[in-house]
Amino acid sequence: MEKGILVMLRAFTLIACGLLVFVLSAAIVRGLPAIDAVFLTAESKNFGLEGGIFYQTLGTLILISGAAAVGLPIALGSALFQTEYLRRAPRLKKSFRVLMDALNSAPTIVFGLVGYLVFGAAFGVSWLTGAFTLAVMILPTMQSSMVEAFEALPETYREAGKSLGMGRGAIIRSILLPQCFYGAATGLFLGLARAAGETAAILFTATTFSGVTIPESASDPATTLQTHIFTLAQEGLDPRAAENAWGAALVLLTLVFVLLSAAMWIRSRLHWESAA
Amino acid sequence: MKTALLNSHSENLRSPMFWAVSTSALIALVAGLGLLGFLIIESVPVFSRQGLGFLSGTEWFGPDEFGAWPMIYGSLATAFLASLFALPIALGSAVYTAEFLSPKPRLAVKAAMEYLAGVPGIVYGLLGMTLLAQWVRNVFDLIDGNSLLTAGLLLAVMILPTVTTLSEDALRAVPRRYRETAWSLGMNRVATAFCVSLPMALPGICGAVFLGVGRALGETVAVMLVIGGLDRIPVPWFNLFAPGQSIPSKLGREAAEALGGGYHWHALMALGLVLFVLALSLSLAGRWFLTRQRSA
Repeated sequence: MEKGILVMLRAFTLIACGLLVFVLSAAIVRGLPAIDAVFLTAESKNFGLEGGIFYQTLGTLILISGAAAVGLPIALGSALFQTEYLRRAPRLKKSFRVLMDALNSAPTIVFGLVGYLVFGAAFGVSWLTGAFTLAVMILPTMQSSMVEAFEALPETYREAGKSLGMGRGAIIRSILLPQCFYGAATGLFLGLARAAGETAAILFTATTFSGVTIPESASDPATTLQTHIFTLAQEGLDPRAAENAWGAALVLLTLVFVLLSAAMWIRSRLHWESAA
Repeated sequence: MKTALLNSHSENLRSPMFWAVSTSALIALVAGLGLLGFLIIESVPVFSRQGLGFLSGTEWFGPDEFGAWPMIYGSLATAFLASLFALPIALGSAVYTAEFLSPKPRLAVKAAMEYLAGVPGIVYGLLGMTLLAQWVRNVFDLIDGNSLLTAGLLLAVMILPTVTTLSEDALRAVPRRYRETAWSLGMNRVATAFCVSLPMALPGICGAVFLGVGRALGETVAVMLVIGGLDRIPVPWFNLFAPGQSIPSKLGREAAEALGGGYHWHALMALGLVLFVLALSLSLAGRWFLTRQRSA
């Protein structure tokens, strides 16, 4: 009886982990044949049936860098605000956390709708609208990871600063930020990974399917790997579309996993001398 | 005490760091409230014209009236299926990982779950379309593999890592002394896991499931590719082999053609509001359970 249950539990765990292997190998088996030097460096032709995914990859990178550039300072600042300036106001602190949780739970397509309304009013369907929308979307991801890092910093570090006569600002600048650098970087990479994997939020805020190269002005649309795959997937039957979609999916998956690995690697370096 | 507070406040007000930090907090606050605010404002025309009839209506297409019920049904049905399929595997692997694995393999499982959660929705969509939908069609002998069931199965895979890893955290949070007590009473490890750890971690596991279902509700592109895209409640209503439509897949399909104005756009925004409220209540409930676990 005990043995049987144990075997079953192990099987479930293997299924769960096996899913990762399955997803990876499916992407590699189907995507690898599409990938060669031309595929990675050429622009797409004939509605994605021929050519490559150069500008799509570039578009994804532009969007996630833009989102991080906008979102990082806000995430960092609001994380510091929550952990350092709301210490004496636990109620406010809790409300702020609930607000961030609420933002985190919002379905990504909702960010797309509202992002179109707010940022789209200023820039139209453009890479900038997409970057702002993604910035709001990854804000809670980055923020909560940073809050975790700041809260994990032993109180003695702050007390040491205070005993030297440092104000809150100086403590943040000279103690928190350097000590929690890895924590903030973890948050940044988790946010980037989330932005890179997102399709719905940029589907009608940032991208058009074909004929886009490098966006030159704030109101130019971009084209991304995610939306490229999506459009090709809807073509459905054409085997060339399917092959190119899988090729793009493999590139996207690699990008996301590299970002995730970076986050995990940095997080593993995150520890302080014991506070005791 | 009072002077200390005042002192620190006036010190704060003069510090540039304080201003920089509170400005970004204010932006975050505006972003959070603005999201909800815009959804509410933009859906006012719908609810003032149709009232709750918007929620119960079953026909989406009229220029003046829209009914959201088929989409709400589709979202709830697929999310329910997803939790149903994901739960046994998620719970089983969480128990095994938390109770029986040594630290290193345990971390490997956790990392695998984090990667699995990071796989882009569109890649799952592609997989669902090319493999899962065919498989569902062949196994159940359907004309079309795109159905509520297919979407539910795909969502189950997508929420599995979230539910697994959060349940595992909940199980790990059960203090070791309870297990030791059980062992000293002669209970074996399996019995301890199921009769001691699991009941004690129950609030956290409920939280994990709620958060997972909340995630399933919001998933867009993957579901869009496999759900079939038919705005109709199946006949009979529990026929999950029928194609359907979830709220996000409806939004993804139609937002581009209605962008920005007109009653159609307002109807879509109202649909977005319904989705947000559903996902938000699930997630807040989930987090409430998780904090209860922590304080237990």
